[in-house]
Amino acid sequence: MLFDLSKKKIQNFIMQKAIFLVLLMLVVVIAIINPKILRLVVLRDILMQSSTKVIMALGMMFVILTGGVDLGGGRLVGMAAVISASMLQTPDYLRRFFPDLPQLPLFVPIVMAVVVGILIGVLNGTIVAKFKVPAFIATLGSMLIIYGVNSIYFNMPPNNSQPIGGLRPDFTFLGSGSIGFVPVIVIFAALVSIAVWFVLNKTVFGKNVYAVGGNAEAATVSGVNITHTLMGLFAVCGGLIALSGVLEAARTGGATNNYGNGYELDAIASCVVGGVSTTGGVGSVPGVIAGVVIFSFINYGLTFVGVNPYWQSIIKGMIIVAAVSFDIRKYVQKK
Amino acid sequence: MKKSIVILCLALVLMTPLFAQGSKDEGLQIGCAIYKFDDTFMTSVRNAISAASTGKAKIDIVDSENSQAKQNEKVDMFITKGVNSLAINPVDRTAAGVIIDKAKKANIPVVFLNKEPLPEDLAKWDRVYYVGARAEESGTMSGQIIADYWKANPSADRNGDGILQYIMLKGEPGHQDAELRTEFSIKVLTDSGIKIEKLAEDTAMWDRPKAQDKMSSFIAAYGDRIEAVFANNDDMALGAIEALKAAGYFKGGKFLPVVGVDATAPALQALEEGTLLGTVLNDAKNQGQATFNLAYDLAQGKVPTDASIGYKITNGKYVWVPYQKVTKDNYKQFK
Repeated sequence: MLFDLSKKKIQNFIMQKAIFLVLLMLVVVIAIINPKILRLVVLRDILMQSSTKVIMALGMMFVILTGGVDLGGGRLVGMAAVISASMLQTPDYLRRFFPDLPQLPLFVPIVMAVVVGILIGVLNGTIVAKFKVPAFIATLGSMLIIYGVNSIYFNMPPNNSQPIGGLRPDFTFLGSGSIGFVPVIVIFAALVSIAVWFVLNKTVFGKNVYAVGGNAEAATVSGVNITHTLMGLFAVCGGLIALSGVLEAARTGGATNNYGNGYELDAIASCVVGGVSTTGGVGSVPGVIAGVVIFSFINYGLTFVGVNPYWQSIIKGMIIVAAVSFDIRKYVQKK
Repeated sequence: MKKSIVILCLALVLMTPLFAQGSKDEGLQIGCAIYKFDDTFMTSVRNAISAASTGKAKIDIVDSENSQAKQNEKVDMFITKGVNSLAINPVDRTAAGVIIDKAKKANIPVVFLNKEPLPEDLAKWDRVYYVGARAEESGTMSGQIIADYWKANPSADRNGDGILQYIMLKGEPGHQDAELRTEFSIKVLTDSGIKIEKLAEDTAMWDRPKAQDKMSSFIAAYGDRIEAVFANNDDMALGAIEALKAAGYFKGGKFLPVVGVDATAPALQALEEGTLLGTVLNDAKNQGQATFNLAYDLAQGKVPTDASIGYKITNGKYVWVPYQKVTKDNYKQFK
């Protein structure tokens, strides 16, 4: 039986694992051009670069599972980065955001930033659930509002829109430190991934998310509270995206109001390439992680072999379309 | 339905103070459009413009959101409103011609800033001025910082081949500053007889996280062959430094010269820590002050002179605000 590789089975296998095959092909092509990419440090770099993006994309996945998108995600990354960085500067840094702020415990600003993200999520969820505004529009509005509010905060004297620097070493350790060979930020991403997997697969809330996304009417009939589910999943999305913004500040050692600009589209692309259906109800945590890693690898690999930036853009676009049209066939076939 | 109308009316009433600011009709009014609000340097310039205007004239500063079409709409709005002069930071330098035509027709003088219009456009009318820095100068200066370091430190030639191998991190492709800084930072090296080899050149869109990701990829690809890093601005230089730190640089005597442009607060901090080799100050304060002084004179119908604005006017149209080299020797005076 082991060798029963009928044509149909191979076809089936290729379709199920299309995303991973795309990644493998990319690795092979780039390794042929420059074999130096096949090293452990490169894997470490890519995982580090993927970490904040994985956390953000997992947040985005909750919204996409219900057939929506969160366009405000990128700007929320910027807001969370600025909030946390503004309160976590070293005491002797000259251009402090709050000159007289005492040394806060590390978790306080981080929790504050995440809570802001959750509140914005609840607000988005309320607008979508109660006022029946499509998520696309509701979050388009919140994208503009978040950026405006964040810019006002960032432009407050004495900072006056200067990039925020001089971050505390215990904060930057979260983004760029390692325990042994394993970067802390990768541990964060792994823990978040496990938690999200657990919530989606082992809790009532998670099942409700899939139910609402798959067929809202059927979900209502079977007693799922759609309003609460939507508010809850937007809150989770906001919280995770804010966490990724905090870690982005820790990873880069700075923050400006322009951080995260356009990240929402990267996150959506990663989800979609990772097999999350934009019509809702279908998608998995490993798929999203694969999607993010594929994009990080494309970014890293194309820079690594020195591809012209304009071509990088073209190649990325083609990979999105190709991967998704390949991937989507397995659902088309089912129907 | 009635309820929502009441709420709408109430909201409008509450918001009137927001709009009222713009419609006060006493005193001189200057309309100012900035190419985009989330640009760090232009934010410093616009803050300097508002600071200079206090107590003298009412200045309306608007965001063109990096779109020339939007900027033209804002200019039309200013003209309709009847401002006394305009201060425009074009999105696209070639679009200045159209703005000059509109302004000339309405007899409202214009000061352009930071992106230099074409000379033939400036020649269209005698009440058009330009305030800016010579972008090539910033490139030349950052190149000189590397050249000085290269000549003073024979160990900078890490592979001993007598050739300077470098990485170039560019700003937005096509942006005048990005192109000129890239070109002239290298030109000054070749002019002073240093042999060079470009390992890689890529855009990081002025962005710190992007620069960090690109740089870690370059480090993996070229490793010890890299002998210098040029960045078109400080945010990208600091991103590159984060990546270098992660690869073990700036510890135990392992150093790599990195230069940026802008002299932001975090960059000065990096100079103090000894990670950044040098940066170049684009003098936002004086650009803002000169712009306002010119626009203020023009708004009053005066013909500006060197004495009346406090800056030297070249060829009756240009005010050049010089760049300044900032290194470990003099950074303290810029804090």
